[in-house]
Amino acid sequence: MKYLLEKNNKNLYGYPNWRYKAFFVLIFGFLSILIIGFIGLNFGTISIQPQKILSILWHYETDDSLGIIIWQLRIPRLIMAMLTGMTLAGVGGAFQGILRNPLADPYILGVSAGAALGACTGIALQYTTGLYLINLLPLFALVGAFVSISLVYLLSRKKSHFPMTDLLLAGVAVNFFFSALITLLLAISNREIHSMIFWLMGDLSNANWQKISWVFLPVFIGSLLLIFSSLELNAMALGEEEALHLGIQTEKLRLKIFLIGSIMIAIVVSFTGLIGFVGLVIPHIARLLVGPDHRVMLPVSALIGAAFLILCDTIARTIIAPTEIPIGAITAIIGAPLFIHLLKRRNDNNEY
Amino acid sequence: MNKIKNTSFYYGFVFTILLSFMITITGYSQNDQFPITLIDDSGFEIMIPEEPQRIISAAPSNTEIIFSLGLEDKLVGRSEFCNFPEMAKSIESIGKMSPLNLEKIVSLDPDLILSYGGFQLKDIPRLRELGFKVLVVQSETLPEMIQGIQLIANACGIQEKGNALTSLMQERIDRISTQIMASFVRQKPKVFVGSNFDTIYSPGKNTLFHELITMAGGENIVGHLQGWAKINPELVTQKEPDIIIIPSGIMNPEEISKIKQDIINHPGWSHIPAIKNNQIYAVNEDLFYRAGPRLVDGLELLYEIFTGKK
Repeated sequence: MKYLLEKNNKNLYGYPNWRYKAFFVLIFGFLSILIIGFIGLNFGTISIQPQKILSILWHYETDDSLGIIIWQLRIPRLIMAMLTGMTLAGVGGAFQGILRNPLADPYILGVSAGAALGACTGIALQYTTGLYLINLLPLFALVGAFVSISLVYLLSRKKSHFPMTDLLLAGVAVNFFFSALITLLLAISNREIHSMIFWLMGDLSNANWQKISWVFLPVFIGSLLLIFSSLELNAMALGEEEALHLGIQTEKLRLKIFLIGSIMIAIVVSFTGLIGFVGLVIPHIARLLVGPDHRVMLPVSALIGAAFLILCDTIARTIIAPTEIPIGAITAIIGAPLFIHLLKRRNDNNEY
Repeated sequence: MNKIKNTSFYYGFVFTILLSFMITITGYSQNDQFPITLIDDSGFEIMIPEEPQRIISAAPSNTEIIFSLGLEDKLVGRSEFCNFPEMAKSIESIGKMSPLNLEKIVSLDPDLILSYGGFQLKDIPRLRELGFKVLVVQSETLPEMIQGIQLIANACGIQEKGNALTSLMQERIDRISTQIMASFVRQKPKVFVGSNFDTIYSPGKNTLFHELITMAGGENIVGHLQGWAKINPELVTQKEPDIIIIPSGIMNPEEISKIKQDIINHPGWSHIPAIKNNQIYAVNEDLFYRAGPRLVDGLELLYEIFTGKK
């Protein structure tokens, strides 16, 4: 089916040269991530000469304190920021596609609130029971996220149907409900409030190689699955009915993207906490740069997301060093004005 | 013959003295208490291979303990909030208490990190993974604080000095409790801790403040509540405290007189004995919040206030 669509109705989508575009944009994207990543490596509480960093990287020096700072602290954090940015921006783009809504972000379908509630419950239990649960917080968050995903799924499914409005409304409702529970938890807690708020604002400071190894595979497979769905997402952009006429099973597609995206977000968010705005703004920037074709837009969105989060994390850990700012604050401070600017521009070239 | 014997005796004497001197020196530099294995306040078993020479204190309470034990020369890093004693400020800051700045800590190359558990617990596995020795000292009560001082003393190989310091503190505490026992007929003053901010927080059960009030012979009017609790002003109206304590971080006289004025003018509080008799005291909050050696000072201060000596 996909094959037919691509072969015969290529011009229906109006993106004849997408391969070249994708190729150049991706090469450019990877190079810029490498450069931004290296720039990020140069900044930190401790200033290290770029030549020294290069030699540490080249000789794989891991013994002295500078080696530990580069290989055990800065690089894992950089990679974690990259993976997180990729996931948030990529899933954000896909969700905007299936929901046909420019205001959709990866958190709109309730995953984040579930994860946050899970993590905050873990933190509260840590303090009230005195058990040592800190290492299990990602597990708590993951369980919370899966509870909210299944809740949204059950609420929005109508017999065999899976309508868009219901999915969106179920997501928003679950979000509100879980957020209310978090507020309640914050209100009745006192000492643990600090840890909870930090979790809610996102924190990459505990990234290590082990966490990366857990996050990498799900994110990689999920991203591929999303990119392979681009053609169907393109059809969806024409409108639900039009997509149906083109032979796309829109409800199945929606369910598929919802599940893949939510699981990816759940895994990432469990380790990093809630980092806002990346998933909302970056897909719009990608769309402005390369147009709305999902085959190009999704990878580009992921790449820009990765670069953006590396940048934000570098700012977060250096701007008032040795104190660190929660990264969520930085992404929102940079992201919000950018988003407003884009909304203004959108009025001129009337596309979403 | 006699002379030779004398000289050999003389050399032997010098040699013995030198030898004993050398033994003392080497014995001193190689502390025989190490390696030492301790169990910290998070229940973690930590092995310290040799006497720590570069210590980072990640909490104000631990910094105060380090200074009281005379270990300040070995302190290479402290948290941003460590403001006591004054000398602590000259030591390099490692930033906020949470999240800990790992990069800064790594660059200082410490051989012992004194952490306050609580919200630092999430950073500790990461530090241990990087090969650092992290000792969690988290005291919730006065006796635990004294144990904490002993724990730090043991970890640094100055067990005896720790013993001396803690027994001195215990003496001061015991003196107050015997004085209270002796005057048991006296009615306990009802004490309210809090200030007239928009939301009033007051320390209930399981807080250091509550413990100190009780030990100093007072009755905490929110003693039935758990932890730091949000208080409705009506509760204060109803309980009619005899003494109001204002914990303050900024010990600026103008600020304090303004807070006092606010409390005096608080609606519904005018009949309260503490306000009628002007029994409102501003105290340095650090004496009551930090699980450090100054808790005993705080206890003595409260005792003086309750017995009208201040």
